[in-house]
Amino acid sequence: MRRSSGWHPRLVVAAVAAAALTLAFVAARGLAIADALDSGAPTPVSLGEKIFADASLSASGKMACATCHDPAHAHAQSNDLSVQYGGAGLDVPGTRAVPSLQYVSLIPRFGFGDDGPFGGFDRDGRANTLIIQAMRPLLSSNEMANASIEDLIQRLSVTPYADEFRQVYGADIFADPNGAFQALLFSLSQYQTLDPDFRPFNSKYDSFLRGEVMLAPAELRGLALFNNPQKGNCAACHPSHRGPNGEPPMFTDFTYDNLGVPRNDEIPANADPTYYDLGLCGPARTDLENQADLCGQFKVPTLRNVATRHVFFHNGRFHSLHDALQFYVQRDTNPELFYPVAEDGTVLKFDDLPPQYRRNVNTEEVPYDRHPGEAPRLSDAELEDLETFLNTLTDGYDPTATPAGN
Amino acid sequence: MPVVRRNTRFAVSRGPRFHRFACTGLAAALAAAFSLAPSLALADEAELRAEIADLRKQIDEMKEQMKAMMSQGKAAPSAAAAPSPSPAGTAAPAATPALAERVDKLEQQVSAQADEASATKLFSYGEIAYSHPTHDSGGTQADLARAVLGFAHSFDDRTRAYGEFEWEHAVTSADDQGESEVEQLYVERQLNDRVAGRIGLFLIPLGLLNEHHEPTQYYGVFRNFVETAIIPTTWREGGVSLLGGTESGFNWNLGVTTGFDLSKWDPTSNEGRESPLGSIHQELQLARARDLSVYAAANYQGIPGLTAGGGVFTGKAGQGAPNFLAPDARVTLWEGHARWQPGPFDLSALYARGTISDTQALNLTFVGDPTPVPKSFWGAYVQGAWHAWAYKDYSLAPFARYEWFNTAASYEPVPEGLGVPPSPTERVGTIGANFYIGPNIVLKADYQKFHVDTARDRFDLGFGYNF
Amino acid sequence: MALRYEWLLPAALAGAAVPVAQIVYATEYLSVEAAQKALFPDATAFEIVPVSAEERAAVVQEAGRFAGAPRVFRARQGERVLGWFIVDEVIGKVELITYALALDAGGAVKGLEIMAYRETHGDAIRLAAWRAQFTGKRAADPVRLDADIRNISGATLSCRHVTEGVHRLLVLYERALAHA
Repeated sequence: MRRSSGWHPRLVVAAVAAAALTLAFVAARGLAIADALDSGAPTPVSLGEKIFADASLSASGKMACATCHDPAHAHAQSNDLSVQYGGAGLDVPGTRAVPSLQYVSLIPRFGFGDDGPFGGFDRDGRANTLIIQAMRPLLSSNEMANASIEDLIQRLSVTPYADEFRQVYGADIFADPNGAFQALLFSLSQYQTLDPDFRPFNSKYDSFLRGEVMLAPAELRGLALFNNPQKGNCAACHPSHRGPNGEPPMFTDFTYDNLGVPRNDEIPANADPTYYDLGLCGPARTDLENQADLCGQFKVPTLRNVATRHVFFHNGRFHSLHDALQFYVQRDTNPELFYPVAEDGTVLKFDDLPPQYRRNVNTEEVPYDRHPGEAPRLSDAELEDLETFLNTLTDGYDPTATPAGN
Repeated sequence: MPVVRRNTRFAVSRGPRFHRFACTGLAAALAAAFSLAPSLALADEAELRAEIADLRKQIDEMKEQMKAMMSQGKAAPSAAAAPSPSPAGTAAPAATPALAERVDKLEQQVSAQADEASATKLFSYGEIAYSHPTHDSGGTQADLARAVLGFAHSFDDRTRAYGEFEWEHAVTSADDQGESEVEQLYVERQLNDRVAGRIGLFLIPLGLLNEHHEPTQYYGVFRNFVETAIIPTTWREGGVSLLGGTESGFNWNLGVTTGFDLSKWDPTSNEGRESPLGSIHQELQLARARDLSVYAAANYQGIPGLTAGGGVFTGKAGQGAPNFLAPDARVTLWEGHARWQPGPFDLSALYARGTISDTQALNLTFVGDPTPVPKSFWGAYVQGAWHAWAYKDYSLAPFARYEWFNTAASYEPVPEGLGVPPSPTERVGTIGANFYIGPNIVLKADYQKFHVDTARDRFDLGFGYNF
Repeated sequence: MALRYEWLLPAALAGAAVPVAQIVYATEYLSVEAAQKALFPDATAFEIVPVSAEERAAVVQEAGRFAGAPRVFRARQGERVLGWFIVDEVIGKVELITYALALDAGGAVKGLEIMAYRETHGDAIRLAAWRAQFTGKRAADPVRLDADIRNISGATLSCRHVTEGVHRLLVLYERALAHA
């Protein structure tokens, strides 16, 4: 129904003109961005992806980031070595197991909270940003072993994508090795932060949380054991619920813990009985070496994709998820299964810590709050259910595919 | 400020001249008062009060004189000495009603000025509690439970703003355990003879305690469990409401307000077990308001001493939270109560029951956690108090109360073996006394015995005030 | 939409409760004349009776302060004194309550009317049944809440203050009016 006192004609013209101008402006901006994305123009993310996969950036010519952080294996290793070998001849051993880079950009900066330290990159949290973190493996003698920044940039300047690098960062970027190094690190950081491959959130558990799929009975039992504060109590450090704004669970609270993991003789550095990897208080990290109560603490990693791993804990001491879980529940009830036994029968518990730090080990939280002779918090059947549940945290689940037997 | 002329010389014997003097004096006073009116409105409050006190004094003096005059005029008209004959004698009594009327008007004027000076009033109440668990002396605690400051400001005779601010546990900071909060902030207006409206943050009119929660208004050191765990006193929401009453004593209250946010439920903590609604209330703190709630409450108070009523509050609690598995969950709380105060006795009973619907899918993701979302929770109590003794403004009221409550009476079903069993119903008996010092100050002592969680048995002392 | 039905009920009641034509502002229910008529329908004249400061001080000492200044009228039918009509004010919770107390010639309460009640809550004192409790009371009676006057839950402050006010006026009668 038309009203006699409708819109004034001039007002209509003005409104239309304003709308048209706004549309034009937005379109121009949008087209510019779309251009950049669609037309394949290089961006820091695309460069980062290429750099990440480029083995020519190493002294050996055979080691890229992706070599140890394989995108097909949740950005972690595909072999089952406790530590990898790097250097010019791929013969210099590392000291810690490769962590998964899946969801890495969601780790907060290192800091001290009410419950102690939290956050930071690397297993001891010593790198505060992804840029700082990427510096070490590129230059470290037991990893990609570039002799110097100039050495690395020289290698970068002759890669097939060097022109794209110039396009993004400037034609004379390679004239300044430090500047180019910054740009390289920035590219890697942007790739790990913005590329959706690093944060898919498409595991079966994520589908379950969206109400798209129901967990199988064994998986549901495993989840119950995971959450139960008197059984697995895993959720105490590996939270399994959504955040306050509906964010998916990260299965880590980014804090640090000392589990007293047994010493791993597969690590060559451990051949020296005076060498101890103490995590927060050294030797790789040096700023907290006076905080004795932090010795032996390593960062709680995410349990997403844990079932795809081949080695577990910071020193890769266990090679199967089942063994790692068994360590949690039987560390204190049957320590002889995990630690060396002396000739007189005593168990050398917490042998990967010097004697004065063995009291730092967490012996109060369920499930590792047991004493010898007590029953473990989880039986073998319950452990199996727990492992079945942890398999639902693997990315790449397709809820529409017909389930092959529930 | 013009000086009010005092006319203290009254010559009783001279009739007409007396009349003139008296009238002059009064007229001067009236004129002064009226002329003072605008400047009084602008004056400092202290000055205002001083002026009013002064005026009152003068009025009193004049009334004294008038009274003396009236009794003399009546008792002995012949005593009036010459030269005033009967005209004076008749003139004096005839003049006094008129005079009396003008004095009366003057007094009203002064009262009105006094009223304007006090359009804003401050309130406060506070309570301190000491509790000593009888099986765990290490848990003995003394706490400044709450300190509340409030104001009521009248814009005019029928429009008012009301605010109430609270500090709990004495110290609030990032490292301390206290809380500071806005408990109420609303404006109300009397719309007509029988209906008023409110808008803002106000108390939900359910239960006996929520709207009348000052320490002098309830028996016992701590508020009863039914009205803290089930009805989350002090329960307030933001919205609009209409309230009113009929001549026969039927009061009603309706409102549309914000509600609860079920996405705040934390299955790993004990909060939801202590008070289901208390753990998901929003209190207008950046409240999610996609799903509003409604309530209706009614009370019959037609028989003096009896209050009987109840109400219901219902609203969805999903609030459109992203990726939330209970988007259609509905929170509903019913309650019914009765209170009978025959003479020195004070008897009351209350029943409340709450439900949260559609929690099955959400609880499935909470398997193994200690506190899934309950389907229903309820509580009830009976209480009797006896104002047994009074002397001057001291009085003593012993009381006894028995309550039942269950914060997780039932759950939606989950697969076998994975659920949490419903809670047992806790029963608490409380016996104690309130000792009042005037109507505004109270000292309290009580002993509470728990049926299920006997570690909580405790002896309590309390102090509270209210003005 | 979640909101649709929830708005319906209160909106309907709001429509019913507020008269369409004109919002009548009425927290003052009775003027002085109307109250006089209600309590003394047979009276032909009301004379103002001034209360001196001394008399008032004596009452305050025994029965507490006045919130305002009580206005005392003597009700006459011709020459006969019917009783006394007193307008007084007490504080409710925040606002003043204006009420009128009628005493018969012997000084016993004849009736109580609430002339103005300015708050939204606690107006239970307007209930006829509550006010009727005062009929027949004299200065000698306790006239105290929870003793011979029943309280109304939720309106305790208004009930208490009006009860104290009535008691005070009865004492005023004893001191100032009984011998006038």
